[in-house]
Amino acid sequence: MNVSLSARNIVKRYGGVVALSDGNLDVQSGEVLALIGANGSGKSTLSKVINGVVVLDGGQLLLNDKPVQFSSPQAAKEMGISIVFQELSLIPLMTIADNIWLTREPTKGLGLVDRKIIEKKTLELLSLFEGTYETVLSPDTVVADLPPDEKQIVEILKAISFDPEVIILDEATASLDSRQVQRLFELVETWKKAGKAIIFVSHRMEEIFRIADKYTVLRNGFTVGSGEIKDVTENDLVKLMIDKESVLDFTRDTYDEETMNQKPVCLEVNDLKTEVLAGVSFKVREGELLGLGGLQGQGQRELLLALFGDIPFKGEVRFLDESVHFRHPRQAMKKGLALVPGDRNREGLLYIRSILENLLLPSWRKYGLPLKMKKSISDANQVAASLNLKMAGLQEPVSSLSGGNAQKVVIGKWLMRSPQLLLLDDPTKGVDVGTKGEFYTLLTKLCAEGKTILFYSSDDEELLGLCDRVLVLHDGKIRSELIGDDLNKESLVSASLGVTNGGES
Amino acid sequence: MKKITWNSLTTRNPALFAAILLVLVIVINAIVQPNLLAIDTLNGNMRVFLPLILLAVGQTFVMICGGIDISVGGIVSIVNTILATQVGLNGSIEQLWKFVLISLVAGLLAGAINGFFIAILRLQPIITTYATGFLYAGFALFLLPNPGGGIPRAAADAYRTTTPLGIPLAFYIIAVILLLWWFLRSTKYGRYLYAVGGNAQAAYQTAVPVTWVIFSTYVISGVMAAFAGIAITLLSGSGNAEIGNAMTLTAITAVVIGGTALSGGVGGVAGPIMGAVTMGLIQNIISFSNVNTWWETLVKASIIVVALAAPGVINLFGRRKS
Repeated sequence: MNVSLSARNIVKRYGGVVALSDGNLDVQSGEVLALIGANGSGKSTLSKVINGVVVLDGGQLLLNDKPVQFSSPQAAKEMGISIVFQELSLIPLMTIADNIWLTREPTKGLGLVDRKIIEKKTLELLSLFEGTYETVLSPDTVVADLPPDEKQIVEILKAISFDPEVIILDEATASLDSRQVQRLFELVETWKKAGKAIIFVSHRMEEIFRIADKYTVLRNGFTVGSGEIKDVTENDLVKLMIDKESVLDFTRDTYDEETMNQKPVCLEVNDLKTEVLAGVSFKVREGELLGLGGLQGQGQRELLLALFGDIPFKGEVRFLDESVHFRHPRQAMKKGLALVPGDRNREGLLYIRSILENLLLPSWRKYGLPLKMKKSISDANQVAASLNLKMAGLQEPVSSLSGGNAQKVVIGKWLMRSPQLLLLDDPTKGVDVGTKGEFYTLLTKLCAEGKTILFYSSDDEELLGLCDRVLVLHDGKIRSELIGDDLNKESLVSASLGVTNGGES
Repeated sequence: MKKITWNSLTTRNPALFAAILLVLVIVINAIVQPNLLAIDTLNGNMRVFLPLILLAVGQTFVMICGGIDISVGGIVSIVNTILATQVGLNGSIEQLWKFVLISLVAGLLAGAINGFFIAILRLQPIITTYATGFLYAGFALFLLPNPGGGIPRAAADAYRTTTPLGIPLAFYIIAVILLLWWFLRSTKYGRYLYAVGGNAQAAYQTAVPVTWVIFSTYVISGVMAAFAGIAITLLSGSGNAEIGNAMTLTAITAVVIGGTALSGGVGGVAGPIMGAVTMGLIQNIISFSNVNTWWETLVKASIIVVALAAPGVINLFGRRKS
C-alpha cells in the first residue's frame, strides 16, 4: 500500500483576508511530516483544505500524483484522508461509541444499528490508549462527561476508526498528558509501518523532533522551507518561522527598571487559578504596559476574564492596595477596570446598534433620568474625535464600521469611564496597519497618563515593540518573564514554544 | 465514582421529571375524581388526550433536531376541515378512509413546505412556522368559514367506544408509537437526529446529511399533526377551522415538560407523551375542583409555569452548592 499526498501553491482567502498565499507540502507512505508555523501562518487552513472542510481558491492537491478536488469532508474521507480536529468534532451529549461510529454505524437486519459490534469495536479502539485514562471509559460514556484529554483521545480514535491512508493530527497533543502523548507516538510508529502518511501539526518542538521525519514551515501563508528533520536544529526552525522584516516600527521609551520600581503597585495577583490557569502570580505597577504572550489558548484570555470578574477563579487579587475578588464585571467596572474582549463583534459590541449606544453602554447611569441626550452626544463626539473615529455619524450602526474603527468604539466606551486598569485581549486582531499604529500611540499615551495596561497579543511584534515587560504563558502557567535585553523575538518565540526557558534570568 | 446529581439523572433520563410530575398529577386527580382509574373514565380521558399526544410526538422530532414547529395547529385545522367538508355526516366509511389518506398527504406536504424553508433556505424555524401556520389556518378557514360539517356517526362512535381486550384504543396507539420510536432510535436515522441537534457543525464535519435530517423532522411533524387532526375530528365529530389554534403551544409545553430541550440534542418520545397526558389531567383537575370558569385559565397557567420552572429551580440549587 503506497500513498502520497502533495499540495501545490494552495491559495485560500476568507473574504478579503488571504489566509494562505502559497501553501506547499509533500508527504508519503511511512512518513511523518511536521507542519510548523507561528500563529496565523496558515497551518490550520492548509490542513482544512486537505480535508475538504474549506474549498481552496487556487492551487492543486495531488493524491498519488493524480489531481483531486474535495468539495466536502465526505469526499476527502472517501479518499482515505482523515483529520483529528483541534476544536473537536464530537457531539457532546452522545456516547463515545455513537460519536466514533457516527455515519458509519454497522447495521443488522431492518437497518437497526448493531450495538454489539459497535461496542466490541469501540472497546478495541479504546484499548489502544489503555491505562492512560483517569476514569473507566466505557463505550456508553457520554462525551460531555469526559475531561478534555479524553475527549481528544475519542477524537483521535474517531479519525482512525475507518483505517485512513492519510492522517492529519492538528494540534492533537495540545491537551494530552505525557503518557498519552507517548502512547499516541507509539501508535504513529505502527501507522508508519503500516504504510500510512501522517501530517503532524504542532507547536511543541520537542514532539516534532521526537516523531517527525520531515518538516514544512509556513510563514504568513507561504511555505518558506521544508526538508529532513535530521538536517536541522530547533533554532533553525524557529528562525524560519520568524518574519525578519517587521511591518511596523515602534518607538518606545527605554525601560528604566529603577523608576518603574518606585511607582506604586497597581495590581498584584497571587496564585490565581481557574479551570485553565494553574496558578498565576505577578505584579503590575502604575503606568506600566505589561504584555502577555505565548501561543493562543494558553490561558491569557482566562486570566483577563477572571480579573474582570467574568469567570470564577480562586486566588488572591490586590488592586490599588485593596484585596478584591470580583464576581461580576459590574464590580470590576466600578473599581475602574475595563476589558476589551477578544471577540469584538460578539463580546465587545452591540453590532447592529448605533455607535452612540455602544459608546455610552457602560456609562448611561451617569446621564440621569430622563437621559441627558445632548450631553451624552457631545461626550460621545469628544471621545470619537480623540480616537480619530472615522464614521458617518453617531447614529450609524457599528456594523457600518471597518474592523479598526469598530475596535475604537470598544476602547472608546471604556475611555468614557476613565478606567485605571485596561485589560486588552488581542485588540489588534483584524485591524488594519494604519489603525494599529494609532492604537500603539494611544496605549503609550494612556500609560504616560498613569493608567495601567495588561495587554495580550497574538502578534509577537507588537509585544516586542510596545511592552516594557512580557509574561509568556504556557499551559496555564507563566513560563517566563522577559525584560529589557531578554525581550527579543527569539526568546519570545522559544519561550512560547517551550523550547528552552529562554530569557529567564 | 461520580456522585448522582439531579442534573446527571435528567441528562441520562430526560423523561424522569415528566414521570414524577405525571404520578403527582394522577394522585391529585384521583383525589378530586375518585373513579379516575375506572375503565370508562380512562377511555374517556385518553381519547381526549390522544390528539395532543400525537402532536407532541411529532414536535419532539423537530425539537430534538434543535428546531421548533409552531405551524402544527394550522395543519390540525386543515385536516379537520378537509374531513368535515369532504366526508360529511352522511358520508360512507370508504369515503372517510379516502379522505383520511388525503389528509395525511396534506400534512406531509405542509411539513415539506416548512422543511423546505428551514432546512434548504435556512430560515429561522420559529418565524417560518409562525408564518406558514397562518397560511395553513387561513386555508382551513377558506375550506370551512363557519363551524359545521362532520363525519359519519359510526366513525365517531367507533373512536369513542373501541376498547380491544377492555383497554382503551389510545393505549394501543401509544404502544405502537413507542415501538416505532424505539426502533427508529436504534437506526442510523435516530443517531443523526441527536447528532444534528447536539452540534450541527460537528455533525456536518462527520458527513451527516444535516439538511435532509432537518427536512425530515418537519415532514414527520406535519404527518403527526395530520394524525392529530384525524383524531380530533373523530373525537368532535364535526368541523371547526379554529380547532387546532390552541393546540400548538400546549403540545410544545408537553414536549418541554417531557424533558426535550428547546436547544436540541436531548429527549425522547416517552417524555412528551407523559407530558401531554399531564397537561390533560391538569385540565381535568381544574374541572373537578370546581374552579370558577373565569379563573380557570389563570389557575391552569400557574400550574404549568410552576411545572416548567421546577427543573430550573432544582438546577439552580445544584449550581449554588458547587
